[in-house]
Amino acid sequence: MIGMTAPLTFGELLQRHEREIFAYALRLTGDRDDADDVYQETFLAAFRGWPPPRRGRERAWLYRIATNKAIDRARRARRLVRMDDLGLAAPERDGASLADLAAAVRVLPPGQRAAFVLRKVQGLEYAEVARTLDCSEDAARSRVAEAMKKVREAMR
Amino acid sequence: MNDLVTEARERLVSRARRAGLATVGYRVVDSPLGPLWIAVGPKGVLAIHYGAEAPEVDLRRIVRAYGPGVLPDPRRADAVARELDQYFAGRRRAFDVAVDLSPLTDFQRRILGATARVAFGAVSTYAGVAARAGSAKAFRAAGQALTANPLPIVVPCHRILASDGTLGGYAGGLDAKRRLLALERGDVPTGGWPKKAPTRS
Repeated sequence: MIGMTAPLTFGELLQRHEREIFAYALRLTGDRDDADDVYQETFLAAFRGWPPPRRGRERAWLYRIATNKAIDRARRARRLVRMDDLGLAAPERDGASLADLAAAVRVLPPGQRAAFVLRKVQGLEYAEVARTLDCSEDAARSRVAEAMKKVREAMR
Repeated sequence: MNDLVTEARERLVSRARRAGLATVGYRVVDSPLGPLWIAVGPKGVLAIHYGAEAPEVDLRRIVRAYGPGVLPDPRRADAVARELDQYFAGRRRAFDVAVDLSPLTDFQRRILGATARVAFGAVSTYAGVAARAGSAKAFRAAGQALTANPLPIVVPCHRILASDGTLGGYAGGLDAKRRLLALERGDVPTGGWPKKAPTRS
């Protein structure tokens, strides 16, 4: 791996982050083929959206893109998020559609969105969410709680 | 998971190439002189570097000329890798692959062009190359341009010696220079020299 003073190239970005992004995509989608697609769409979007917003923050940028790609895929595939996971199983919520939920999730700030998807969709433990997002477990809990609050408000 | 990532990467690079996002492909090949990092752009070979990692100076030049779309793409470097294998096996005396010197300065291009005209098995001097390049007085600058040669072996700067007949310098080390000169004198073991495995971090 070359030093931080060298110009960042697509290849260097891949070398640094492709494994963890693939692993993340695998966790988000739970399927090899879907993970492959999310990995490819993530890096193609990164190449098209070049340059990264800030040098040294490429990792967070890639996670954000990967999370968005995985959510977009889930929406396209109309994959159902388990509504009881959201604590939204009250009778008046019966009409809540996946599209409503996806829309609510979509407007979350990326950090909260990733934490929410990892915990509530993929069912990862908080410690694992924290490791995946490179934050403390407390921060992961707080992000998920904040995301839940916003989703509930949006679905009301 | 390594295999999955490798397969995904190959597909990604193909897609990036089709989308015009991958301007330069690179790979690391093994050689008798150790690993070589090779980059190939739209007009030809851009860099051959002694070592398994991209050198910063080459990357800067490549990115300045072709942007950040520098991706691992072994197939793009197939032709030059094959010719290097043949050269090291004593079965090739000149390289047919196109080289791209366009990101270099005019002086560097002239010096490297003059160097490329020194035939297999022959040698010249820094002063000789400077004179051939039309800058007879600039032999020190010629030496510097050759030290910074981004395409060693293919542009045969190992054939250029100091005026007193000593080896002068070489980016790959003087042992590598001696070996290349020996190879061109016909000193190749049957079956070619063994490849040195790359040292990977």
